[in-house]
Amino acid sequence: MENNNCRRLLQAVNEASFFMQDLKLYLDTHPDDETAVQMFREAVKQYKACKEAFEENCWPLRAESSGKNCDWDWLCGAWPPAKV
Amino acid sequence: MFVFEKRTQIPVRIANKNPRLAGIILSQYGGPDGELAASLRYLSQRFTMPDNMGIALLTDIGTEELAHLEIVGSVVSQLTSGEGAKSFDRYGKGDYYVDHSNAVYPASAAGVPFTAAYIQSKGDPIADLMEDLAAEQKARATYDNILRLSDDPDVNNVMKFLREREIVHFQRFGELLDAYQSKIK
Repeated sequence: MENNNCRRLLQAVNEASFFMQDLKLYLDTHPDDETAVQMFREAVKQYKACKEAFEENCWPLRAESSGKNCDWDWLCGAWPPAKV
Repeated sequence: MFVFEKRTQIPVRIANKNPRLAGIILSQYGGPDGELAASLRYLSQRFTMPDNMGIALLTDIGTEELAHLEIVGSVVSQLTSGEGAKSFDRYGKGDYYVDHSNAVYPASAAGVPFTAAYIQSKGDPIADLMEDLAAEQKARATYDNILRLSDDPDVNNVMKFLREREIVHFQRFGELLDAYQSKIK
């Protein structure tokens, strides 16, 4: 049950992060597209919220999110190639 | 610098084992048009791009290629994890097993170890970008060939995503090349 929830939350991180990545590459060659910049900021907001929700309920995605409860939980969770 | 995030860019969930198919997909890990070659090519060429637009684009695409290397490695690993010598042999991969057992080793499907001779870093932005455009098409064509050889839907979903990214990268490199060529004119 917890795993299903983590899968769903991770999918949201993946989607927001992909949104951000694709806009980043587009903006590299279209830096004057103000609409795309706004969309990028929206994607960043979405990514941060999804990442926070995942890390609160599942495990740290980045080392900087680890150790909040005084244990070294960076080792926890599914490291690639483990399936989520 | 690079920051690691503990997830693959898209989920990799392969239900079936298949060392033969793993050996084919391995080419996109350490083969001539694979993701390791792609990432090293762009992350090396970026140092001699003439402006920040070029440096940024090659850095950002080169970084995404590293994420793709991780995806391809995960597919190969999931297709072979837990399989023993007999299974590798039955699938015609006894020759891979004898040297690497269940490990993921950067080599082509034909077993040629990865070499930097697959890439060039010329110090000439036009020459480098022409190579990058060709590299994206060769990688796309390799994914097409994998899709012709594989009938595993879990694998094919991942391959289709990676194939699509090659097309997006080709588009972006083309825009950068256009920008440089119109500056010359």
